[in-house]
Amino acid sequence: MITVRRITVSLGLAPLLAAVSLLAGDIAQEKPRVNADAALSVEFLKGVQAYVELHKKLEATLPPRPEHATPAEIGAHEQALAKLIISARGRAKQGDLFPQKVRAYLRRQIGSVLRGPDGAVIRRSLMEDNPGKVQLRCNARYPEGLPITTMPAPVLSALPKLPEHVEYRFVGDRLVLLDSHAGLVMDYMTDALPQ
Amino acid sequence: MLIPRRHPALALIVCAVSVACLSGTPAVSPALAARQAPPAAAQAPLPLTLPNREDALKFGVMGDFGTGKREQYELGEEMGRVHSQFPFQLMITVGDNLYGGQSPSDFVKKFETPYKALLSAGVKFYASLGNHDSRQQSAYALFNMDGRTYYTFKAPKQDVRFFALYSDYLDPAQLQWLERELQNSREDWKIPYFHHPLYSSGDRHGSDLLKRKVLEPLFLKYGVSVVFAGHDHVYERVMPQQGITHFVVGSSGQLRKGNIDKGTGFTAYANATEQAFLVAEISDDQLFFNAVSRSGKVIDAGVIERRKPE
Repeated sequence: MITVRRITVSLGLAPLLAAVSLLAGDIAQEKPRVNADAALSVEFLKGVQAYVELHKKLEATLPPRPEHATPAEIGAHEQALAKLIISARGRAKQGDLFPQKVRAYLRRQIGSVLRGPDGAVIRRSLMEDNPGKVQLRCNARYPEGLPITTMPAPVLSALPKLPEHVEYRFVGDRLVLLDSHAGLVMDYMTDALPQ
Repeated sequence: MLIPRRHPALALIVCAVSVACLSGTPAVSPALAARQAPPAAAQAPLPLTLPNREDALKFGVMGDFGTGKREQYELGEEMGRVHSQFPFQLMITVGDNLYGGQSPSDFVKKFETPYKALLSAGVKFYASLGNHDSRQQSAYALFNMDGRTYYTFKAPKQDVRFFALYSDYLDPAQLQWLERELQNSREDWKIPYFHHPLYSSGDRHGSDLLKRKVLEPLFLKYGVSVVFAGHDHVYERVMPQQGITHFVVGSSGQLRKGNIDKGTGFTAYANATEQAFLVAEISDDQLFFNAVSRSGKVIDAGVIERRKPE
């Protein structure tokens, strides 16, 4: 009887043990993903930081822009800075700051927000006043006079936090990394909005 | 029209006396009328209903204006007339300060020239940015942003602090900053202003529910009584929402005629027939306001009582 009872107990616990085992497996699988995502975030921000350092170094060679500037001073400073950066990054190409694995990671992050409870509203917000199919070039000026897409707070919260003067923007379904101080498209990735 | 209290616990009384919709297309265009009319000094005074007290804080609100077109200039002239009668010290902008190009000549054409009378009279502009504005505007001396896209400042009179937000980019850093600043503010009046309206009956955009979700709890928690926004190219005063009165003043240049959704159920007064801006006066616990149209009519007027801590 004892043996039988033991077997019964063991059989009764089997689903629970199996569930625990599965859960442990999930956790074990999830953990590397989280670590991998964290590593991708670090890799991405490292590239952005290198850009920011270059930006600062080049800006330091220019006469400082007055804190209370005239439009002419603002325009001259922005254009001079953009010219220096464009020249220094002469070989820059799409994907330099958004390598493939980073792109996949960012798509996952954006996708998780869009699949959430406010997903439909967020998608609508991203498409509102979205300039759409405008031609973009990496390491070139953001088209003058083109409105900028509003970035919903949940999307910004899900993406790696950028340094000052660097912003995420959407143009169509492309995620743009914008140097808002120099008015430059640092890089962009396509298909950033999952269907 | 008396607006009933929506939330008695908040002890807010909004006695918004809405002037009946006086809008209508003038028989003569304002530009022609201005040319035919005698000089401003000799013109009949505007029918403002503000107390115009000596020690009050007087300010204006305008939004979505930087078109460089005739209507913007005509409203600019009207602002000058209002100022000669009601000398407001500062003007806050709720974004879309310059549409299209943002070159030095655009700043002249779309800002400095239409508001020359105000600038010459020493009115200080405190801008916030909209989705059509280059971030570089934050360095423009006449916008008094000191290079920041979001900032706060204490008004020169009365116990008032303004909070200019960059609603286009409400990242965690800005939201943390806002909460810290609201928490630290000891002023009676805390007035946030920004581009995207939390409540709007504008048919083009409407209420921004995502921003409402993150901003409204902070406004409620820290005793905000009134909020100014734009984006929808109409003028609207919204019935108090949980005790807070929201204004949409996206009507100061780029008007979207007739673009009002009458079904939202929260409009206290709306006008999309001609350009308009708002002037207000804070005296102790009261904020008096007049919305003035391009043809010099007071299209909305009233007084808002400050929300007090329970």
